[in-house]
Amino acid sequence: MFGLDRSERADRRRRQALLALFRQHRLNRSPDGRAQRLLREWLTPAQRQQLASRGHFEVVGSHTGRRYRIYSGAAMNVCELDDHGRVRRGLCFLPVGELPTGDVMLAQKLALEMCEDSVMLVAREFVPRPLYWT
Amino acid sequence: MAVQIVMDRSGDSRFLFDPASATEVADAERRFRQLTRRGFTATARLGPGQMAILRSFDPNVEECVFFPQLVGG
Repeated sequence: MFGLDRSERADRRRRQALLALFRQHRLNRSPDGRAQRLLREWLTPAQRQQLASRGHFEVVGSHTGRRYRIYSGAAMNVCELDDHGRVRRGLCFLPVGELPTGDVMLAQKLALEMCEDSVMLVAREFVPRPLYWT
Repeated sequence: MAVQIVMDRSGDSRFLFDPASATEVADAERRFRQLTRRGFTATARLGPGQMAILRSFDPNVEECVFFPQLVGG
């Protein structure tokens, strides 16, 4: 096929696999890659599954038991849900410092799950984007 | 070995220490105090899906993540 014999095709596959491995390694060493890895390590299996399949995950507030959805993003990416799982309002809060997105999402998760009352003291309400209403 | 993970611009910085070494534990405790004084919150993973905020240093916690103070966006 395409004038390549079997050994040339195998060589090409090996080179492509090696290139993919290098790319993954470089990504894992970047700030974003490291933060995403830390986030995945600290999510529950269910949250990890939600993030992988839907691009967001849900947490339960430590004080009220309310549910929140954390979308991929570093600002205006948290929404409070109503009893039917629909978006009720947006809450904007984030850790200080220019942290990579994964770190911001993990800080938001940990804060809501362990010190929801502190979050409510600083969070600003916003009207979520139409994308978040679905 | 235990690890203290501090969120920063590089993603995170990890500080390993041996809970059996008095010197390393002292360093880890000093780091804990410095970070919490600067507004970081220390959180520990106690088991699958179980986490807690650490109000004081505990050398027996194997993995601790520090996240910076939160502000409204």
